[in-house]
Amino acid sequence: MIGGADIINTIYIGLVYTVMAIPLTLSYKATGIINFPHINFITYGAYTAILLHDILGVNNVFIAALAAFLVGGVISVINNLSVFQPMLRRKTNLWIIMIASMGLWIFYKYLLYSVLDVLSKIYRINFISRLIRFSTLPTFQVGGLELSSAFSTTLIMSAILLFGLYLFLERTTAGKAIGAISDNPVLAEISGIPKDKVINIMWFVVGGMTAVGGLMWVIFSIATPEIGDWLILVIFAIAVIGGLHSLTLTALGAFIIAAAENIGLLYLNQAFGVPTSYKPFISFLTLLIVIIVWPPKGAGGGLPYRFLTKRKSFRGENK
Amino acid sequence: MIGTNITLEVKEVAKYFGGVRALDGVSIKVPNKGIVGLIGPNGSGKTTLFNVITGFYLPTKGEVWFKGERIDGLNPNEVFLKGLVRTFQIPRLFKSLTVLENVLVTPPRQIGEKVLYSPITSKWVNQEESLVEKAVNLLHRFGLGNFIHSRISELSAAHIKMIETLRGLITNAYMYLLDEPAAGVAYNTARELFTMVKRLRDEEGLAFLIIEHRLEVLMDFVDYVYVLHNGKLLAEGTPREVMNNPKVIQAYLGG
Amino acid sequence: MIGFNVLGFLISWATFLGIYSILSISLNLEVGFTGIVNFGKVAFYAIGAYIAATVSTYTILMLYNIRAAPYTTEGIIALGKYEYLNPFLDAGLFLLAIVLGFAISGIVGYLLTYPVLRVGPEFVGMTLLAFGELLRIFFQNYQPAGGSKGLMSIPHPLGWLRTPLIKDGLYTLIVLGFLVLIYLYSQKLVNSPFGRLLKAVRDDEVAALCLGKHVPRVKATILFISSGFAGIAGVLMAFYLSAINPNMFMAVVTFNIWGMVILGGMANNLGAIVGAAILTFIDRALTFVTPNLGITIITPDYIRWMSIGLLITLVLLFWPRGMVPEKPVETPPLKLIKKRGDRNEHNA
Repeated sequence: MIGGADIINTIYIGLVYTVMAIPLTLSYKATGIINFPHINFITYGAYTAILLHDILGVNNVFIAALAAFLVGGVISVINNLSVFQPMLRRKTNLWIIMIASMGLWIFYKYLLYSVLDVLSKIYRINFISRLIRFSTLPTFQVGGLELSSAFSTTLIMSAILLFGLYLFLERTTAGKAIGAISDNPVLAEISGIPKDKVINIMWFVVGGMTAVGGLMWVIFSIATPEIGDWLILVIFAIAVIGGLHSLTLTALGAFIIAAAENIGLLYLNQAFGVPTSYKPFISFLTLLIVIIVWPPKGAGGGLPYRFLTKRKSFRGENK
Repeated sequence: MIGTNITLEVKEVAKYFGGVRALDGVSIKVPNKGIVGLIGPNGSGKTTLFNVITGFYLPTKGEVWFKGERIDGLNPNEVFLKGLVRTFQIPRLFKSLTVLENVLVTPPRQIGEKVLYSPITSKWVNQEESLVEKAVNLLHRFGLGNFIHSRISELSAAHIKMIETLRGLITNAYMYLLDEPAAGVAYNTARELFTMVKRLRDEEGLAFLIIEHRLEVLMDFVDYVYVLHNGKLLAEGTPREVMNNPKVIQAYLGG
Repeated sequence: MIGFNVLGFLISWATFLGIYSILSISLNLEVGFTGIVNFGKVAFYAIGAYIAATVSTYTILMLYNIRAAPYTTEGIIALGKYEYLNPFLDAGLFLLAIVLGFAISGIVGYLLTYPVLRVGPEFVGMTLLAFGELLRIFFQNYQPAGGSKGLMSIPHPLGWLRTPLIKDGLYTLIVLGFLVLIYLYSQKLVNSPFGRLLKAVRDDEVAALCLGKHVPRVKATILFISSGFAGIAGVLMAFYLSAINPNMFMAVVTFNIWGMVILGGMANNLGAIVGAAILTFIDRALTFVTPNLGITIITPDYIRWMSIGLLITLVLLFWPRGMVPEKPVETPPLKLIKKRGDRNEHNA
């Protein structure tokens, strides 16, 4: 039966998804680019933590998170400076930029594989599939209920990140400028916002936050260079629920999907005997259903209409 | 009632987006061979009205009649096939095609556009030949003969706007909806464009409905003007009447 | 073994070139000509391959009255015993698989037009990517199609020729024959008013719609044709390898094909073949060389995929037109008028 553990699990996964999905919405909103290296931010964040833990012996999860944030942010800014910005300046079609970003994703993914391959041979640890435990994780109690250390850490970190993001977007000049650019790029340009700089800051925050999301994932789960690929379609489905526009709706979407995965699959399992190995299948199916039933508004360049299949009865009526 | 001399009639059209009333009971008539202007401040619903007429939106209420046929509820491609041609504020030509190809894409129901026939050259080559001839003649007639093989990116803004308008002529165009034809071009070029519009009306018998912000150009060429404000008709009349209407002046200054 | 089998290498390269060229031409029809960003190409390839595998193995087992599934040990043994008894049966199964592979892949592609139209060009990629992965996970869990182990002992249409060299050589010719047919057909298709329409839809589908073009129908048509071609490629590959499993159809295969199209040049069928030739050459060369390298510090596959990712980005960044750039649509009257124009310039 569905118990407290499942609900806690849902909150837990929902928070991780929120931290990963909100930056995707943010970057799409501001630039219109579907950023495939988002997948890499997750894996690189996760592996920053693992490598720090295994090689340098860092046991403080918050230092690891800071490092992950830096790694993700720097990669993100490099991508923007080397690929997105030059292509946008040339007024390249957005879907071509998306293909370039897909190339970046594959590059980074197998770069990580290669690096891990070498490191695995040097340190004789199988980094390609690795489970770590930080020894010093904070724990606390809520109403006499002892929360697991991983859950507590996730709770603290996502609270810091989300509150920080809120402050950044609402209280800082750069954050407000991101909002202005997302709402009306032409107007923002005219009003003298230093667009390039602001967009770079935005990419840094996006990359960093997602990377910490990846780190939060490996606190309680096994890491492989594929975790980003497993997660991205779920993340994408969540972002689509948020209409790729509203950050609040995105967060809501994260919890809906987390509940569907945990409680929904459990229900299917108990009621129809659906094996739990179908979890990725459910995620993909969710994405397809979400995207078809609820297509993102302003899906750039799409037909701005719904081609009518059923017509009104007066069709062809003549005077 | 639609009289025989009315090309386009918009009857009490309303379009709501959620709570926003983009259009609220707008009625417009464009007579045969008429050049009618549609003006109004930004966000007054002009482009929304175009989108309703051309089938991009279903109107929430109201009807659109074209040449005695009801056309709201048709898809945009079907509206075109009825003879109603639309241009855009930012011209939408096919950037990687040449000028000639841009015109050649236009004719509907080409045999060579059917996927089964397209690999069999002999099926469509005759039609293609006559279309090419027609297109070349058309471009020469309007002084674009030198640009036949140019790519769109090599052309000036005015030429792009001309081509967007002219390519409808190769088919059964009956009426045009022009969205800000004079935006972004020099004053003299704008006048040239409107002179072309007049020429098309006189030579081809076409009717026009034109959205335009540059009233100094528009008012010299149109027969009749409608003023939209906040989704409602604010005024209508001849250019002179409208320009002297205090409500219009108020809307433009205040809006 | 250090000896390098040149003929074997050439035959295997030519076969891969043929199959991947079909895939890259079909992807180019979608992406280069019509602007449908298909990140799920591998799905249609997989459908073709699975149709070939299931149709041929199940039919043989049925005809010889063996009550064992083709993925069981008895099934595999029985297939080994019976599959090459009747050359006509093998050839017939091959043809049947080609027809079914084309039709079923094509129909699935056609049905996917609905989401493609609904989500707009940028989200199509993600949607089709999800579809491809969905299909792979389905095959992984679907026992009648072999589950995660896949199907083995797919009867080679020329399997009764016992000399491997002749068998593979002839099969290569068949594959190249299909490539030539598909290439010629695609060339005809894009150098016609239909090709012009495709490019118009790619450049601006809203404008095309406003010119009376039935954009959804155009997209559905091209998805049917190109998915069907991908299905044929899958059938050819399944018979060539004679064994398939779900891991052959990872998303990365799609990106390999994308690399070919982008490197060769978008919206150019010849470019698609050039791109496929280069990438398959590298792929085959690596496969032939790797066993001789012994243990390497980095798995060569990682380096390969990494290079393909980098290649896609760099080519788009610095060389967006690729090796064989796009050419204008040339219908006979257009060729004529262009010639006339050139002559006039010459005289003047």
